[in-house]
Amino acid sequence: MDRLSDFTYTMESCNHCGQCKWILGPKMRGWKYAEICPIHQRWHYDAYSGQGLINIAEEVLNGELAYDDGLIDHIYRCTTCGACDVNCKSIRDMEVLETILALRAKCVEEGQGPLAPHKEYARCVEEEHNIYGEPHDRRFDWVQDGDPSAEGARVAYFVGCNGSYRHPEIARDTVSILSAAGLRFTLLGAGEYCCGAPLWRTGQIKAAEKQARHILGALNKLGIKTVVTSCAECYGAFRGFYPRIAPLGFEVRHISELVRDLLNEGRLKIARRLDVKATYHDPCLLGRLSEVYVPWNGKIGAYGRHDPPKEWRRGTYGVYDAPRMVLQEILGPRLAEMTRNEENSFCCGAGGGVADAFPDFALWTASERLDEAESTGAEAIVSCCPFCGSSFENAIGAGQRQMRYYDLTRLVKESMDGTKGGKE
Amino acid sequence: MSLPGGVYRELEAVVGPEHISDRPWILSAHRRPMPHTDRKPASPEAVLLPGSRDEVREIVRICNRHAIKYIATVSSVMPMAFPNEPGTVILHMKRMNRIVEINEEDRYVIVEPGVRHCQLKPELMKRGLSYPVASVGPGGSVLVNFSSSSGDHHTQHGTSRTNRYLLGVEWVLPSGELVNVGSLGSGAGWFCPDGPGPSLRGLIKGWGGHWGSLGVYTKVAIGLDAWKGPEVMPTEGHSPTYRVRLPEDRHKVFIFKFPTLDQLRDAMIDIGKAEIGHAVLKYFNASAALLATESANHFWDLWNSGSFREELTRPLYVYLATWSPEELQYEERVLMDIIKETGGEEVDRSIREIYESNMDFFIVVGFLQRVLRLGGGWSPAKLSGDSVSHMFEIGKAIPDLMNQFIEKGQILDAPDNWQVIPMEYGHLAHLELLFLFDRGRPGWPSIPLSFMKESAEADIKRGFHAAMPPGSGALMEQLGPLYSNYHVWARKIKEAFDRRNVSNPLP
Repeated sequence: MDRLSDFTYTMESCNHCGQCKWILGPKMRGWKYAEICPIHQRWHYDAYSGQGLINIAEEVLNGELAYDDGLIDHIYRCTTCGACDVNCKSIRDMEVLETILALRAKCVEEGQGPLAPHKEYARCVEEEHNIYGEPHDRRFDWVQDGDPSAEGARVAYFVGCNGSYRHPEIARDTVSILSAAGLRFTLLGAGEYCCGAPLWRTGQIKAAEKQARHILGALNKLGIKTVVTSCAECYGAFRGFYPRIAPLGFEVRHISELVRDLLNEGRLKIARRLDVKATYHDPCLLGRLSEVYVPWNGKIGAYGRHDPPKEWRRGTYGVYDAPRMVLQEILGPRLAEMTRNEENSFCCGAGGGVADAFPDFALWTASERLDEAESTGAEAIVSCCPFCGSSFENAIGAGQRQMRYYDLTRLVKESMDGTKGGKE
Repeated sequence: MSLPGGVYRELEAVVGPEHISDRPWILSAHRRPMPHTDRKPASPEAVLLPGSRDEVREIVRICNRHAIKYIATVSSVMPMAFPNEPGTVILHMKRMNRIVEINEEDRYVIVEPGVRHCQLKPELMKRGLSYPVASVGPGGSVLVNFSSSSGDHHTQHGTSRTNRYLLGVEWVLPSGELVNVGSLGSGAGWFCPDGPGPSLRGLIKGWGGHWGSLGVYTKVAIGLDAWKGPEVMPTEGHSPTYRVRLPEDRHKVFIFKFPTLDQLRDAMIDIGKAEIGHAVLKYFNASAALLATESANHFWDLWNSGSFREELTRPLYVYLATWSPEELQYEERVLMDIIKETGGEEVDRSIREIYESNMDFFIVVGFLQRVLRLGGGWSPAKLSGDSVSHMFEIGKAIPDLMNQFIEKGQILDAPDNWQVIPMEYGHLAHLELLFLFDRGRPGWPSIPLSFMKESAEADIKRGFHAAMPPGSGALMEQLGPLYSNYHVWARKIKEAFDRRNVSNPLP
């Protein structure tokens, strides 16, 4: 179920109820921050929404809508944040985001997409195994005190392109945390390539699959049982994309989950609480979109019955609690919540290739999110994804805001005492 | 066809280039058939996003000048929001989304069309105020539910129907002329729909509304009720399994079952006479099963288990919402006396627990669209308003009607899927049946049409008042004479107000 034609049931079922645009009833909190879809909030037309995109997908599939540059631009304005999808699935059995991704894949397959910056991802990944086109042999330049890898470790820290080349402090802080807890882990070294998420989200499925196969091979070769990421995009790719290629032979954990467990086990200790009032931003691919993909190739029978039963990914079991529990330890009562949180989180604007193809819109989206963060009285916004971090840092700079951005790993590093446990 | 270039440029000059589009992919969102019909709407020629009343007036004047048809819409949930014929433009009213004023002292709120229930309701809850949310889901437009379309809802027993809440209205007539309705018309403010000033509330929305065919309402004021719950909805859990429990010392849910519909009816009437209860419903049973489950498969498991069919064949839902624990105790005692006298008993505890944990069912109808989960093939019928007794009289005949179609395998086997909701403590009541059909079945498009026809003809034969005026089409020609020829009046009003027939001409 990955081709556009697999989603005709979704395309035919939509009745414009608007739930792909608006916050769910039980989560409503006020006039502001009630919209959940960035493109809809920015442009207002129904075509800019989950509903509109699946209407477009149907017309493209049926040959009723001809490709042109404007249409392709339109299809790629969506950040693929999945807010529409999770909200829709609260009430319907529809696959809104999968339909949007399949539409992009169809555009690529038919030579109509993606946009130029996305093609550049693919070229860079092909040549240098990272989306920035930086030299592959400098991927681990961020390592300062020697390779922390432990011989024969069954835990791998997968750093990701952004952590390796753009936010090396996240990689360093993560290593510090893992080391402080006495965890034996390894880096993949030359075997670490781009996880493929930016290719997957822009419809470049074959290129993404190539990355996945390489990484799965590298991990299997090392006998890895646990992959740790500090990047929500990588986390989302491992859990949401790789199972489409092959069954995962290892567990995938985000650093926030690991830190929570290490704190609970007493292997990490918070030495001091930080004096900052902060709010937490749920990254899409760590939150609502992080549930493991379970392939389903059944049939939809009379009255919507799925045979065999389908395991839905509705965002119910996203990673929401772990980062909050960690922040609660670090900040105490100074942790504030935004209205659009957890599965209703508003996108940072960076997803789906938007940051590179439509930087103005990415900036607008991040600014909207920062406004919401400021409305809680917070001085800082914390998240767990370097792409979200880049997006917020851009918007903070552009708006000359007082708000600060922290990756969770930085706050953990600053607050811990580095107790070593020595167990894996 | 597309708009003549000159007309497009005239419209563009009004709203600005960012707020008008005739790009095919923008239009595609307005020409997809709704899932309960195979009738594909005509593609609109353009979509406009007006930002103010004056822009709306100017657009309407241009449309009149060039005989361009227009449809003002917000959520576009109903078929009336889609063009019937080429040469139509959509006025998408989303940018006009201000809550203009919340008057806590005089208890009214003024809103523009784009304000949604999920925005207004929580703003009012913070202030100890509330209003009835029509059964459309949280993304529905407040203005539309109060001025332009139906408006029945789960709490109308203890409150009223949305048309009763309508106060002042700012109305752009189909010609572009501006009318301020009610007290607004004499500069006295928004507080009253009937004067001093032109009393036109009945024309705007006597019962059902005109679905945008009498111009554009750009602001409405609605009356407010007191809110007896917390300032913020106490929500726990994650989608789709939210839990909303209101303070249990002042909010309580009961579900009873009765041996006969007459006993159920008597209980409903007596509860109204006692003036207790915030919500009282004889609710659908298959729809209830859909609302209580998280997928079509989950529904089938529950439905086939038989518990909802058996326990909720003749159910009475009662939601008590009070100011104090003592008041709750009083209402509960009265309620239990009535139930005892009328022969009811509580349904299986597990069913009641569903509603105890999801009290949003009564407040914002957050998961209404789950009813469409079986593929989207659905349609309502009856949609009537009359006395509680008459609604039950009609209701008793529903299973026989449903069974004719069930036996042919055309609709879901749920002959008791109908509801009666009293309003104003039983002064009136609403009746509705919902039938669900499978869109995968060959010939499915004829099912809703034949069902509606059969339903209306049976009602006419029996002398039932069982259809919602006003409406359109051949069926209304049959029903109109039963309602004082309202359809003739409605047509004449339309002709008088919309001489060029440009404001959402319904079929």
